[in-house]
Amino acid sequence: MRAFGLVYFFEPWWVQIVKALVIFGVIFAVLPILIIYERKLLGRFQGRYGPNRVGPYGLLQPMAEIVKFALKEPFRPATAVESLFRIAPMIAIVTAVSALALVPFGNVQKIFGQPVGLYGIDVSIGPLYVFALGGISFYGIMLGGWASGSKYSFLGAMRGAAQLISYEVSQGLALVGVLITAGTLSLTGIVRAQAGMWYFIPQIVGFLIFMTASFAETNRAPFDLVEADAELVGGYFTEYGGTAFVAYLFAEYTNMIVVSGIAVTLFLGGWLLPFGIHPPGWVDPFVVLAKMLIVITLFIWVRATLPRLRYDQLMSFGWKILLPLATLNLLVTAIVVAA
Amino acid sequence: MSAVLFFIAAIVAIAGAFGVVMLRNPFYNVLSLVCHLVALAALFLLLRAEFVAAAQVVVYAGAVMVLYVFVVAYVGGADESVTHFTGGADRPGALRVLGPLFGVAVAVELCIALLGTALKGISGKGAPYVLGFGTPKQIGTEFLTTYLFPFEVASLLLLVAAIGAVVLARRRRGLEPDESLDARLRPARPAYTGTMAEVAGLVAHGDGEAGR
Repeated sequence: MRAFGLVYFFEPWWVQIVKALVIFGVIFAVLPILIIYERKLLGRFQGRYGPNRVGPYGLLQPMAEIVKFALKEPFRPATAVESLFRIAPMIAIVTAVSALALVPFGNVQKIFGQPVGLYGIDVSIGPLYVFALGGISFYGIMLGGWASGSKYSFLGAMRGAAQLISYEVSQGLALVGVLITAGTLSLTGIVRAQAGMWYFIPQIVGFLIFMTASFAETNRAPFDLVEADAELVGGYFTEYGGTAFVAYLFAEYTNMIVVSGIAVTLFLGGWLLPFGIHPPGWVDPFVVLAKMLIVITLFIWVRATLPRLRYDQLMSFGWKILLPLATLNLLVTAIVVAA
Repeated sequence: MSAVLFFIAAIVAIAGAFGVVMLRNPFYNVLSLVCHLVALAALFLLLRAEFVAAAQVVVYAGAVMVLYVFVVAYVGGADESVTHFTGGADRPGALRVLGPLFGVAVAVELCIALLGTALKGISGKGAPYVLGFGTPKQIGTEFLTTYLFPFEVASLLLLVAAIGAVVLARRRRGLEPDESLDARLRPARPAYTGTMAEVAGLVAHGDGEAGR
């Protein structure tokens, strides 16, 4: 079973299918929790309760909303391009879910005597896989905005295009520092290389650049100009309603989960715990999920704190500050590692 | 399994290539090209060239084509006329003559290449898979040892192209002599518009002449 990468020789095909279903199921069960978590937290940050009517403490609010969205009429404007209008949300969500496969939730464990890697896939190209899917996910945004046949959607999509290509470069360069330090592209290998010290300490500049660029890549505040509601109504998904809108919403949250998973893997030690604590193997996924929750809380915190950037500020920040800084970080890391 | 995937990817690649040539709307042309490039990446994956596949998607579908889509979505129209190059029904344009010529030349070249080498591979099993083939490590080693000179020449070429793009795209001269920066930043506004500070006279009116 050397299907993709070099590390699959110990897993039969059915294990891979089960793993894919489990990861998909867990993450999609987490998504509604994440949505209510964000709304409650945002409420607290702004001195209010947040949703508190549906269910105990308002915790069933996302369920009520999903039912509401699912029952809506699939509307589309008369100027929309039917086929692309339907395909675009699918591209967005398929690429987001595919990127999940890369996040390692733990080392190789023996489950009923069968060795199983607690990750979707461990490819030899590592983070490049995420960047490839990120490049395709751009078409989900772009086609959605273009095919809507509306100026607001189109402008939102255009902003998304410019933002994505501007910050992808810095994000990639920030990662290269980690890859040089670890000496491998395999994400599980990178986690194992962090046994001595988590990389966010030696690679603190890379970590900050990666996180900043990730806010832009996932279209989160303060870089959410793609969906700046005061200027563009809703950005590229202005014309979407019902399940297609939910697809975009879930794609955004899945992207956030993927980015926090990558950040945890590359900078925060993956499933490793500090102070020499070595829990049994089944704890590993929970460690990773807990760390991801911390990173996601940071995402929400920043959204509640920082105002949205202006468009020219966004561009000059990306190209004139972040990119030179990322290049410098890469150079310094290369010199330190080689010396 | 791999045969099924190969035929799916190959059909998508060829259909995409046809779409680039046949479709009239430039936006769909670009989308066809994207489909074609992604299908090529799938073919690379089937050849176990993972790094090449990822680079194909990241560089072409994810960066180059993004710019194409960007430009075409802004300026490309569905009813854009191409008769300037192809000529009308009565007079043949340059593309009508040169297009088939180059097409035939490429087809002949491909036929020579196919008949010369590739047909031997049909009866054989193909090259054996070596562990570590197509990984970034192997490609990096090859680049910096066996293919060092072509690699460096290619990077020099890319550098020249990048500098050339900057030189061509930059604004050649500064402001026009009779054009002040102030007028460019503050366009004319209709009367009775502006901020409270301007009404109170705390700051200069945006454009006093047009306002009155």
